[in-house]
Amino acid sequence: MKRYLAKRLLYALLILFLVSILIFSIARLLPGDPIQAAAMMNMDLANEEIMDDLRSQFGLDRPVVLQYGVWVKDFFVGEWGTSFGSGEPVFEMFLRRLPVTLELFAGYVFWSFLIGFPLGVISAFKRNTVLDAAITSTAIVGISVPVIWEAIVLIYLFSVHFQIFPPSGYVPFSENSMENVLCMIMPTFVLGTHSAGMYMRYVRSSLLEVLGQDYIRTARAKGLKEMAVIMRHAAKPAMIPVVTVIGIDWGYVISGSFLVEYMFALPGFGRMGIDAIAARDYPVIQATLLIVALFILMVNLAVDLLYGYLDPRVRVK
Amino acid sequence: MAKLLSVNNLSVHFSTGNGVVKAVDQISYELNTGETLGIVGESGCGKSVSALSLLRLIPNPPGKIVDGEILFEGRDLLKASKEEICDIRGNKIAMIFQEPMTSLNPVLTIGQQVAEPFMVHQQMKKKQAAAEAVKALKKVHIPDSGKRLADYPHQFSGGMRQRAMIAMGLTCAPKIIIADEPTTALDVTIQAQLLTLMKQLTIDTGAALIIITHNLGIIARYADRVNVMYAGKIVEKASAADLYKYPKHPYAIGLMASVPKLDQDVKTRLQPIEGQPPDLADLPEGCAFHPRCRYKIEQCRVSAPSLRTISDDHEIACWVDV
Amino acid sequence: MNTKNTALLIPSGKSRSRRKNVVFAILAHKMALVGVVIIVSLICMAVFAPFLAPHDPNDQDLYRVLEGPTWEHLLGTDDVGRDLLSRVIFGARISLIIGIVSTFLSALMGSLLGLIAGYKGGVADMVIMRITDTFMCLPVMVMLLVIVAVLGPGVENIIIAISVLTWTTFARIMRGQVLYVRELPYIEAAHADGASELRIMFKNILPNAISPIIVAISIMLGRHIMLESIATFLGLGVQPPTPTWGKALRVGYSYLEIVPLYSIAPGLMITLAVLGFNFLGDGLRDALDPRLRGEGRKI
Repeated sequence: MKRYLAKRLLYALLILFLVSILIFSIARLLPGDPIQAAAMMNMDLANEEIMDDLRSQFGLDRPVVLQYGVWVKDFFVGEWGTSFGSGEPVFEMFLRRLPVTLELFAGYVFWSFLIGFPLGVISAFKRNTVLDAAITSTAIVGISVPVIWEAIVLIYLFSVHFQIFPPSGYVPFSENSMENVLCMIMPTFVLGTHSAGMYMRYVRSSLLEVLGQDYIRTARAKGLKEMAVIMRHAAKPAMIPVVTVIGIDWGYVISGSFLVEYMFALPGFGRMGIDAIAARDYPVIQATLLIVALFILMVNLAVDLLYGYLDPRVRVK
Repeated sequence: MAKLLSVNNLSVHFSTGNGVVKAVDQISYELNTGETLGIVGESGCGKSVSALSLLRLIPNPPGKIVDGEILFEGRDLLKASKEEICDIRGNKIAMIFQEPMTSLNPVLTIGQQVAEPFMVHQQMKKKQAAAEAVKALKKVHIPDSGKRLADYPHQFSGGMRQRAMIAMGLTCAPKIIIADEPTTALDVTIQAQLLTLMKQLTIDTGAALIIITHNLGIIARYADRVNVMYAGKIVEKASAADLYKYPKHPYAIGLMASVPKLDQDVKTRLQPIEGQPPDLADLPEGCAFHPRCRYKIEQCRVSAPSLRTISDDHEIACWVDV
Repeated sequence: MNTKNTALLIPSGKSRSRRKNVVFAILAHKMALVGVVIIVSLICMAVFAPFLAPHDPNDQDLYRVLEGPTWEHLLGTDDVGRDLLSRVIFGARISLIIGIVSTFLSALMGSLLGLIAGYKGGVADMVIMRITDTFMCLPVMVMLLVIVAVLGPGVENIIIAISVLTWTTFARIMRGQVLYVRELPYIEAAHADGASELRIMFKNILPNAISPIIVAISIMLGRHIMLESIATFLGLGVQPPTPTWGKALRVGYSYLEIVPLYSIAPGLMITLAVLGFNFLGDGLRDALDPRLRGEGRKI
């Protein structure tokens, strides 16, 4: 188990290295240079002096390998550069926006689990009934509906037509907890429905597959009650593929969270990323991408860890 | 001998894409205390289904027990409540499955799985059940059983997994043990070891044993009485010795001719049974065996024969006296 | 039977009866049928847009901006007085073109590299899989925005960006399939028969590994259409005045309170497109690969 984890960890570090090179290169593959590109989008920067100043700040006058080394080193000590647009240190921007994104993520997990798991289990036990068909088709619709459209429809229904929730904006929990919850319900729900559809399908199929296994019959033959058969014998193996999907899904949901923060004007990490991309604000873009990559790698490691816990066969391999 | 189990007119049907399959069709048999009953037949003849239905383990859908009664200790198991049947499973009637690789849960330790029946049926606490599990594994000759309790099935060899299955089946000293192709996946020497062990253990506990197999050698060596099944029906019931020496049903005769015997002239050729096992969804009219039968008469095409007694403790379902 | 030619023993994956079965299975699968109907309608809409659209999509009527539905403009008009219905109909063109071309390129690139990785193994496999894993760490949509921001907007750039970012999905699927198929006895038979490596790769392995790729193509088509709309929605994709669903959605979103249909109608089209391809993908999976019945494990 320890060796397995060490291997996974080393591999993650290798991938992190490759990703960082990729991210680092993007800004430098431009015709011209990133400062010029940023100046095209931001008139405040369109001044040779300011641009030269930014160039040396961004380290463009140094050799590429050195630039990379300094960038990586700086990243790990929290020196993420300053935004071209606001001149603010990127690390501070990130810290200020993190709580919003974390709250969004927590809400997303809540909805996706709350909807996906029970429906998947119900669907499996009522397989090939009308209820199963209804749940399964709802799930595929949930997976297909694009976040931006779902957001617009919900905003129209519940903010314009029925005026229950605010259409956009963010109120911190510390300021007004009631309003905070109200403004987070729609964004988290939009994010959650997509994943809920995925989880539902996987829980259903995985449970059905496990319930058809010989060892479930053995458990029944031993005289275990149906509930014990499911909890003791079926739940753990059925979770194995579901865990994989959750891991992949948490990577996908980053895209969704960027969009949701944009649509609902939540001042989170994703909104920062989209604004930075639109303004070609390279220090912010680089930091955003690297954090995203780190997050996904960590989720993958967590999945590996859970795998080891759920499936003893993995531990030995 | 006391009657322990009697199965009357049991029918199990499966609904498939090609219509209803009568996997088990109106079978009746009895089992006495302490005896070993062999159920023999080709794969797909309904022998496993008939065994699984004793404990109502047929997956539903698609399978369904449509008719019959299974009397055990004076109770009809088919009418028992879910709680009652759970109480019998693994406690009074235990099953040992084929394919120990897939029949053991890969994510639970051997110890957890062997200890389970103790906890379910004898209300033991975890520790006590684990101690019992060690003893149970020792009984089936698993070396170092204390240490191996924490192993997972994939860490066991095929033979050891099967031993663990047997240990699991015997935990609660059941009245009946049903062994479904218990040794198919193993090599011959280990097969013999395990069957002898199983037989010995049933003798020790006085349990009755039902062995389901397609291997006539196993039947000859371990069974007292035999049911020969074909296409969901019992076509011949006899004592093992009788069946071996004087098979009466054309199918049983065919079976016997298709396996080598030690007392046979070496020059005798083995006779295979012509034709293919029937498609259960599309059985021929009359006797299901008649397209492959060498002795068929006109009657066989028209109606299916039911079992008739031909001598003491020997019944066949055939229109012809061969 | 001609025993010299082991190719006769190899399931070609293209036999007529099997193809017929696939067609039947899709027809029997009600959701897949709905998917086919949606997709065919969308394609017809794109192809016959000039005949179907009641107005020229670029005709402006500045006296009649942001109108609700009327008999003349069934879906109303947009912010510069263009007929919304016509723009939605013409919008199918750009979405489908980008979706189809990018999926085709991505599938071609991914399947080829996956085939090489799975069959050759060794260094090729290592390099390709490392690249794939690296790409896995960066969400496609975010990277698409970055790349389009870097390359500049435009149809070609979107297609290139989407293909470059999504081929890894196909490579993974193909590699997994090849690793499985490669070990099957008939491949061994082909080797024993002295077939060349290339022949084995393309004649024996590819046709038997392709089913999940076909399923993935259907699902990815929908996803790529969605990606394009999102990029366009955020102002980084296809540029005006080309009629696109994404742009209409974006502008309409600002007028949600006045003319809700302005954003809801084009959004519905995107949703329908994604839904159609997902339905079809599910049906194809059931038809082509019974092992995966109803599930999405390989994607």
